Amino acid sequence: MTHTPWRRRAASLASASALAVLCAVSVRGQDPDPLGRLDPNSRFAIELIMDSASTAGLPTRPLMSKVLEGISRKADGRRIVAVVRTDFGYLKTARATLGGVSEEELAAAAAVLEAGAKPSQLAAFRVRQRGRSDLEAFTDWADLLTRGVPRDDASSAITKLWQDGADDATFHNLWKSVQSDILQGLNPGTALQNRVRETPGGPTPRKVKPPEGQQENQSSR
Amino acid sequence: MIDSEEHPYVEWIAREARRPVLTDSAARARLMAAIRAEAPRALRRRRWAGLLAPRTLMLSPLGGALLAAGLVGIGVIAGRFVHNRDVRAADGRSTTVAVTPQLPVSDTVVQFVFTAPRTTRVSLVGDFNDWDTNRTPLTYDGNVGVWTVTLPLSAGRHLYAFVVDGSWIPDPRAPLAPDGGFGHANSVKIVGGSRS
Repeated sequence: MTHTPWRRRAASLASASALAVLCAVSVRGQDPDPLGRLDPNSRFAIELIMDSASTAGLPTRPLMSKVLEGISRKADGRRIVAVVRTDFGYLKTARATLGGVSEEELAAAAAVLEAGAKPSQLAAFRVRQRGRSDLEAFTDWADLLTRGVPRDDASSAITKLWQDGADDATFHNLWKSVQSDILQGLNPGTALQNRVRETPGGPTPRKVKPPEGQQENQSSR
Repeated sequence: MIDSEEHPYVEWIAREARRPVLTDSAARARLMAAIRAEAPRALRRRRWAGLLAPRTLMLSPLGGALLAAGLVGIGVIAGRFVHNRDVRAADGRSTTVAVTPQLPVSDTVVQFVFTAPRTTRVSLVGDFNDWDTNRTPLTYDGNVGVWTVTLPLSAGRHLYAFVVDGSWIPDPRAPLAPDGGFGHANSVKIVGGSRS
């Protein structure tokens, strides 16, 4: 038997140590492929949608989140593909309607469309004050539609408040009141109409003109 | 050539060389003490030299493979330990106090509350935890009958739901998002707005 020189042994040990460190690092940073749990056809379809979204300059994160939600809900692969494709369509429409808005606002606007609003109703939000976010307005709008408020009623109420400069708290308080009334059994459309009449147009009168018919009823809440 | 008999210095040098050397006992003792003091240092040097000196190790191929496998195993175990530690830290069992100092500047600590006294397990799923039903369990407070979890969220709009004993339920205190095609609505949390 030949004697291996100490240097070669040392090199072997160093290699084994490096391998061990690499294994540790790989286990530490293990991030399983999120699409790995889809069947090959569904995975391919999802990847195509993601590529299309990237090419169109649309955010892929909301779409990937939808994939993960579907997987977590144990939805069928074809179902997941259909949902993601539909969401992609909403994102595309929202972008075409609103122009350059943030990823968050785009996702919120897509949810409004998904809840039943028409793109033309969303178009009123294309013009906005610098630095003003429509996240809260879109979120409450989508909620009202999801709870059964008639589309045109919800759209006109939210749009009116937005155009009158209502802030996030105003939108949120409106939502809170309406959903409370709905939970107590009031008709969703009626609940909105009642609460809109009580809602001031905004917190700062110098900037905001209250909606018509609100002057005599602002302190009723 | 110089002859010793002809040169008196040669004879003197030879006489001096033949004279016995006389040392006193104190000098001898000093010399021995110096040697004794030197011995431990030399021994230590020899030990280090023994550790540092190149040598040949003999290892069979099987032994080498086992050694390599052992090292890899140590690496994997260490990696899993670190990974599990991070997962435990992120799964919501940490208190707000523990989490807050590590937050990125943009993150906000958000508390999720679900009232359900008669359930056995409640967890939180959302776009912030990849909709993983096991990653963010809620803790039950028996005094007030609510399940809570506190976690840092980045600013923006987040979709989420509670998983209550296996059933997905939207947060009754938050706006709803459309069902998204999976048959159940989610909730929406806006972090970082003027309201949050």
